[in-house]
Amino acid sequence: MIHVEKLSKSFDDLRRGSILALDSVSFDVEAGEIFGLLGPNGAGKTTCLRMLSTVLQPTGGMATVAGYDVFTQPQDVRTHIGFMSCNTGIYDRMTAWEMVEYFGRLYSIEENELQERLDRIFTTLQMQDIKDLLGSKMSTGMKQKVSIARTIIHDPPVLIFDEPTTGLDVLVARAVLKAIEALREEGKCIIFSTHIMREVEKLCDRVAVIYKGKILAIGSLPELEEQYQESDMEELFFKLIQEHEDQLAMKAQ
Amino acid sequence: MRELRDQMRDRRTLFMVAILPLLLYPAMGIGMVQMTVLFSEQPRNVVILGADDLPKHPQLLDGDRFVSNWFLIPTDADKLRVITDHKSVEKTDEKAGIPADIQSQKLLKEARDLEVVLKKHQELLDQWDQLEDQESPEQKKLLAQEITDTNVKLSKLFAESQIQVLILIPKGLAQGIERVSERLARHEPIDDDPAVSLRPLVLRNRADEKSKLAYSRAREAMDSWEKEILRARLSRANLPASLPTPINPEVIDLAQDDQLAANLWSKLFPAMLIIMAATGAFYPAIDLGAGEKERGTMETLLISPAKRTEIVLGKFLTVLVFSVSTALLNLASMGFTGRYMANLVGAGALSKIGDLSLPSFSAMFWVIVLLIPLSALFSALCLAFATFARSSKEGQYYLTPLLMVTLGLTVFCLSPAVEINPFYSMMPIVGVALLLKGMLLSSVNAGILYVYAIPVLVTSVGYSLLALWWAIDQFQREDVLFREAERFEVGLWLRHLMKTKDSLPSFAEAGFCFVIIMLLQFGVMNSMSTAIQAATDAERPTRMMQLLMIQQLATIATPALIMGIMLTTSVRKTFRLYLPSFGFLAAGIILPFLLHPLSLELANSLTWFFPKLRSFAALKSMSDPSQSIWLVLTAFALTPAICEELAFRGFILSGFGQRGRVWLAIVLSSLTFGVMHMIPQQVFNASLLGLVLGLMAVHSRSLLPGVVFHFIYNSLGVLHGRIPEAWVPENGLEYFVRIEQGALRYSWPLLLICGVIAVLILRWVQKQSQSKTDLSASGSSDSDSFGRRLTDAK
Repeated sequence: MIHVEKLSKSFDDLRRGSILALDSVSFDVEAGEIFGLLGPNGAGKTTCLRMLSTVLQPTGGMATVAGYDVFTQPQDVRTHIGFMSCNTGIYDRMTAWEMVEYFGRLYSIEENELQERLDRIFTTLQMQDIKDLLGSKMSTGMKQKVSIARTIIHDPPVLIFDEPTTGLDVLVARAVLKAIEALREEGKCIIFSTHIMREVEKLCDRVAVIYKGKILAIGSLPELEEQYQESDMEELFFKLIQEHEDQLAMKAQ
Repeated sequence: MRELRDQMRDRRTLFMVAILPLLLYPAMGIGMVQMTVLFSEQPRNVVILGADDLPKHPQLLDGDRFVSNWFLIPTDADKLRVITDHKSVEKTDEKAGIPADIQSQKLLKEARDLEVVLKKHQELLDQWDQLEDQESPEQKKLLAQEITDTNVKLSKLFAESQIQVLILIPKGLAQGIERVSERLARHEPIDDDPAVSLRPLVLRNRADEKSKLAYSRAREAMDSWEKEILRARLSRANLPASLPTPINPEVIDLAQDDQLAANLWSKLFPAMLIIMAATGAFYPAIDLGAGEKERGTMETLLISPAKRTEIVLGKFLTVLVFSVSTALLNLASMGFTGRYMANLVGAGALSKIGDLSLPSFSAMFWVIVLLIPLSALFSALCLAFATFARSSKEGQYYLTPLLMVTLGLTVFCLSPAVEINPFYSMMPIVGVALLLKGMLLSSVNAGILYVYAIPVLVTSVGYSLLALWWAIDQFQREDVLFREAERFEVGLWLRHLMKTKDSLPSFAEAGFCFVIIMLLQFGVMNSMSTAIQAATDAERPTRMMQLLMIQQLATIATPALIMGIMLTTSVRKTFRLYLPSFGFLAAGIILPFLLHPLSLELANSLTWFFPKLRSFAALKSMSDPSQSIWLVLTAFALTPAICEELAFRGFILSGFGQRGRVWLAIVLSSLTFGVMHMIPQQVFNASLLGLVLGLMAVHSRSLLPGVVFHFIYNSLGVLHGRIPEAWVPENGLEYFVRIEQGALRYSWPLLLICGVIAVLILRWVQKQSQSKTDLSASGSSDSDSFGRRLTDAK
C-alpha cells in the first residue's frame, strides 16, 4: 500500500546550513498491518510522514501511497489517506459534528452517505454526547476523538498517525491506541510514529528505528530481537543509537 | 462558507465588523451633542489701556464686552472679556464682586508694565530709524542688541501675563477722529491725520492659540467699528457710502444644499471607505492565516484533498466579505448618525460644515462597485502577509505598515488639489479614492469620470489578482507554511551567509542589493545637487557628467560588485562574464537601432499619461552641442551600460533567477531597473527595455550583448538629441522620419518595420538558446507576450 524508496528531504537552516532531515529512507507497508516509526524527537519522523501526506515535497527519492505518487498525484494521495498528528488541530469555533461534517464535504462524500457515516463514527467513538460541543470547550481527549473521527470520515485505505498520543493522559492514550488497533482489524494500512517503546511493543507489526534521518533497523519485533540478540525493545533502541553515534564519530575521525 | 461561519462565531471579529460601527457612531453623536452643550468657551482677556480716549460715538465697548453689534454672530461678544482702565467700568466691577476686581487689577498692572517696555522698544526703534547711516557700526550693533533685548522682554512679559490681546489707545484719539471728521465734512484739507500719527497699538502673540483666537475676534469687532466710523464720516461729508469700495463686486454662491453635502461626503467617504476596507480585511486575514497556523488547524486543512488554490480562495472570499461589509456598515452607520445629528442640532454649529444629507443612489452604486476590487486588493494583501507570518502577533507587525501606507495614500487623496488623471487612475488605492471623490463631488461633469472608471476598475482588479496570486504563491511554499520559530542573530546570519556561498546570489540578496542601490542613490542625490550648484555655469555640464559617472560607479556598480564577490563563489557566473556567441552579439548590436524609434515614439505618445515634469538640467547637457561628443557618450552611454548591466543583469537578475523561475527573474529585474530611473516616464521605458535586456542576458548567458545593447541604445538617445534642427529629411527618408518641434520623430512605416524585425530577432534569440538548452517554457511565453506588448503599444 505504501512504498517508499530512498526518500530524502533537506532544509535550509541559518545556523547549520543545509541539513538533511531525511536521508534515503526506504520501506514498504502492507494493508492490514501497523508499521511503527520509532525514533527520538527530531529524528525525521514527522518530515517523513508529512511528505507521505504530500504537505511537504521530497527533495529526493520517491514514494507511492495507495498506488499514487506523492510527487505527481498529490490530490489523489490526499483523498486516500487519513492523517492525524499532534499538529492537526481542530477548529475552536466549530462543534464536533460540524467539524467532521465539513471535512467530509471536503472529501466530497455524498450528503446521505456522509450523514450516515457521521452517525456511525460518532457512535463507535462514543462521541454522541459531545457532538454539539464547540472545539474550544472540549477537553484534550475529546479533541483527539474528533481528530480521529476527522481522519477516518472518508474511509481511507491508508492511515498515518504521527505521535497521536503526545500530551494525552494514560486513559485517553489507551483509547486512541485501541481505536487504531480496531482500524487494523478493518484491514487498513497504518503508519504509526512514536517515541514511546511501550506503544510499539503493544501495537506494531513491524518497526523501523529512525535516527538522524536514517533508518537504523527495520523488521518485525521478533526479527529485530533475533537480529540484535536483545529482547528488551528499549535496550535495543539505545544499542542501535549508540552504534550509529560510534559510526559517526569514526567517520569524523 | 466554513471560514465565514467560523469567523462569524468569533465574537471579537463580529464585534469589530458589525457591532462597533453600529454603536460607535451614535455614541460619538451623543458625545458630540453633550460636548456642544457643555462646551462653553472661556472668555479671553482683552485689555484696553486708554479706553477713555475712545470715541463716544460709535461706541466700541459695552461694559466689559465689545458691543455685540460689531460681531457677525452677536454671541461672540461674550467670548471676549474686555478689561479697561475706564473709571466707570471699575465702578461696575466693584458691584460684580471682589475676585473679578482683583483679577482685572492684576491684568491692568501687567498691561501697564507691558506698556512701559513697549514704549521703550518703540523709542529704540525710532532711534534706529533716525540714526540710519551716521552712526558707527559698533553703536548700531549696540542699538540692535537693545532692540532685540526689549523685544524678548516684551514677548516674555506678554506670555507670562494672562492677557491675550493688549490694545493701547493713544491719548486724544477720539478728539483726533472727531477733528478729522469735521474737517472732512467741510471738505478742508487734513494736516494732522490720527490714522497716521495716533495709531492704536495692538499686541498679540500669533504662536499662542488663545491669543490668536482672541485677536481674530477683537479684530472683527474693531474692523466693523472702524467701518462704522468711516460711514459716519462719509455721510457727514456728504460723500457716497460706496467711496471705499468703488468696484464692490457681488458674489453669488451657486452651491446648493446637496452640493454642499456632496462636498463633505466626497472628502469623508473615500477616506473612510479605504480605511474601513483595510481594517475590515485586517483581522479576519490574520485569524485565517497566522491564526490557523498558531492553532494547528492549518495542517489539518492542508492534508484534506482541497487544492491549495481552493483553500486560499475560500479564505480570500471570507476576508473579502468581511472587508466589504465592514466598510459598508461603517459608512451606513456614519451616514445615518450624521443625518440624525444634523436633524437634532438643526441649524446649529453643524450647519457650518455642510449639510449631512446622504449622497445620491448612483454615487452609492459606484461606491459599492469600486469597493469590491479595493477590498479584494486589501484582502489578498492581508492574506498573503498573514500567511507569511508565524503567529497572529507577527501578522499584526506585518500588517501595520500596510495600514500606514494606506493611510498615507488616503491623506494624499484628501488634498483638494489632487484630482484624478490618467496616471493616478492606474495607481492602486489612489485611483479608487480619487475617482470616488470626483463622483461624489459633482454629478455635472461625471461624464469624464466614467471614462476613468474603466482604467480604475481594470487596474484595481489587476492589482487584486496580482496580490491574490502572491497569496496563493505564499501558500504553496512549504518554508512559509511550516516556519518554525528561528533564532535570529546578525553575526550568525552573516557567518552563515559567508559560509554557505552559492555560485549564484540568492533571491533575498538580489533584493537587498537593489535596496542598497536605491538608498545610495537617494543619499547621493543631495550632495550631487549641491555640488552641481556650486559649479559655475560654464563648467556645470562637464561637472554634472563627471558626477554622473562617479555616481554610476559608486552607487550602482560598486555594491553589486562587492556583493557579488563576497556572497557568491562564482563571480564569473554571477555576472555572466562569458563570451557570447556571435549571433547574440549581433542581436545586441542590431536591436537597439530597432527599439530606439519604438520606445521614443511610445514615450511621446504617452506624455499625456504621466504628470508633467520640469526638464532636467542633466538631460539638457546631454544635447548641449558645446560638449565634446566623447565625454557625453562616456557619461550617458558607456558608464551606465557597464554599471547598470553589472548590477541589474548581473547580480540582481542572477539572484532573482536562482530559483529557476526565469520569467519572474526577468520581469523583476526589469522592474527594479525601471524603478532605479526614478522619473515616471523613464521608469516605464526602462522597464520595457529591461525586459529585452534580461531576455538577452538569460538566453545568451553573457553580459556582453546587454552592455553593447545598452551602450548603443543610450548613444542613440544622445545622438538623437544632437540632430540639428535645420536638418530636413530627403531622398525618400521623409517617409520614415520627420522633424517636429525641433526633434526628430519617426513615422509609422519605420516603426512597423522596426517592430517586426525586433520581434523576429527576439524570437531568434530565444530559439537559439532553446536549441542549446532546455530552458523552461515559461521563458518563451514571456518573450512572446513581450513582443506582442511592444507591437500593441505602438
